[in-house]
Amino acid sequence: MQLLSTIHIWLINALKFISSIIVLAIFVLITLDVLLPLVGVQPWDGTLGVVEYGLLWFTVLAAPWLARIKGHVFIDAVAEMLPPGAKKVTSKIAYLVAITGSLMLAYFSWLLVVESFVDENIDERSIELMLWWLYAPMPVCFVLVAIEFLRFLVGIDDMYGSRTDVKEGM
Amino acid sequence: MEWYWAFAFLLGWVICFMALGVPVAFAFIATNFIAVYTFTDFDANALIQVADNSTQLISRFTLGPVPMFILMGSLFFHTGLALKVFDGLDAIFGRLPGRLCYLTVAGGSIFSTLTGSSMANTAMLGSLMVPEMRRRGYSKQMSMGPILGTGGLAMIIPPSALGVLLAAIAEIDVGRLLVAGLLPGLTLALLYASMITFQLWRYPGSAPAYDVERMSIGARLMLVTTNILPMGLVVFMVIGFIVLGIATPTEAAACGVLGVFIVAIGFRALSVRAVSTSLEATVKVGAMVFLIIMNSTVFSQMLAYSGASKGLIEWVTSYELHRFAILFMMFCVLILLGMFMDATSMMLITVPIFFPLAGAMGFDLVWYGLFVLITIEMAGTTPPFGLLLYVMLGVAPKGTTLIDVARAAFPFLVCDAILILILVAWPNLALWLPSLM
Repeated sequence: MQLLSTIHIWLINALKFISSIIVLAIFVLITLDVLLPLVGVQPWDGTLGVVEYGLLWFTVLAAPWLARIKGHVFIDAVAEMLPPGAKKVTSKIAYLVAITGSLMLAYFSWLLVVESFVDENIDERSIELMLWWLYAPMPVCFVLVAIEFLRFLVGIDDMYGSRTDVKEGM
Repeated sequence: MEWYWAFAFLLGWVICFMALGVPVAFAFIATNFIAVYTFTDFDANALIQVADNSTQLISRFTLGPVPMFILMGSLFFHTGLALKVFDGLDAIFGRLPGRLCYLTVAGGSIFSTLTGSSMANTAMLGSLMVPEMRRRGYSKQMSMGPILGTGGLAMIIPPSALGVLLAAIAEIDVGRLLVAGLLPGLTLALLYASMITFQLWRYPGSAPAYDVERMSIGARLMLVTTNILPMGLVVFMVIGFIVLGIATPTEAAACGVLGVFIVAIGFRALSVRAVSTSLEATVKVGAMVFLIIMNSTVFSQMLAYSGASKGLIEWVTSYELHRFAILFMMFCVLILLGMFMDATSMMLITVPIFFPLAGAMGFDLVWYGLFVLITIEMAGTTPPFGLLLYVMLGVAPKGTTLIDVARAAFPFLVCDAILILILVAWPNLALWLPSLM
């Protein structure tokens, strides 16, 4: 069990690390796309398509880590007004909704991966990309997100902290 | 199903889930699946379509500026460049009465052109300035008000990450909306400075004067040249590139990040730690917001598919109300939602409904987008649950209550309202710069 937990945490952090690298890569690719023509070099045709895939990948790969650090934004204005017993019930319902939603998205995106892989669908952006690459991280990551909410549901951790913890956003 | 039932059904589920405390992103996911089940008679293909369509909006190049602006702002703070700007501005203001308030407005305006994040602005200004102001005997009102007002400038003055999101969701030109915010943002900064002057005149003891180390004009000029002017490079690489048509907003945002890297290297402030912390902060905020908007396409599509959007527009326009009366109603709804909802969630719920309505009423959608951004900024400082109030409460000294913070924010909310009236009277204040593009 301990080993599984260690692997799970390692996996979540590794996905977050890849997500950070993707952000850096997006910056580098777009910058090169702007700067290379200035020195007479033709930029890579694939920048646009790869950046578009990167935007989705960095989001989805970071989702389990965000759940682990309680980084998904939620509104607790109503729940805060409830007595402790009712608050506990609403939080359990909230976790169940999040788990169900995550698993459904994981399942249906898995069907998309399989379908586009079998049909060898091509996504025509600035370059041709295999369509299943777009959906590939979704099944795994949303299952991992569901596991995070399951941890909250069984009481290993609690997602709801103080509102004054909200320090980051746009 | 009649449009009003569909409308109530969709909004009802999403608001009910949010009220239960379901994270916003997952409230949308769950609502989308329920809506598809209901409106498509349990069609399995439609459920697969939910997963497919959720990838559409965030895999668009036009959303590229969002992580880039967040990265730019994070680097700006984590490399210590923000403090250098403050040192430079500090030298300019000399012994001016209420200097720390003006310093906040000037610093906040510059930070806004360099970061694009309201929360980061408020947190940064709050933690930096409030303790210093309190130490100098400034009243709570004078020490927190300018920060709350100026913190929100980042939503309007380009680059605004929220502006990019709004433009992408509403399908309006990102560059035009960003540039439209420049003049109104600067006007708002001037209104804030005027409000501070008025408060100092009305309550002279609220910001006592104090001795400042004298500095020669040469030394001041040197500090401004070394600490503030280099930031002009970053501002030019973002706003200048967009206005001059040198780069798209996404390219300009990446160039802005490059600009911060260059300036940080020039100041020998760049470190691996600063870069990795900034990347982590970008992933944290960017992925959180993108995950929420992942499902906005499906939610908008469900509003359209169910006939709710069309029905609402036809219903509202059938009353032949003056378009500004409808604008006022939208303003009230946004302020109300902002009392308990974050900016992104408010946008996702209202954009699919309000933008078609605003278009039908004959409003320029870039102008209307700016109106929404200013209103969202106001909503963020509206009690009891405006998020900026809580950010400020989090960094304010012990003993500060939410009422203190809200009271301090009020005069600056009045400035926001004045700006909206100015924009209604002179729309060109917002639309002139975009017309040059």
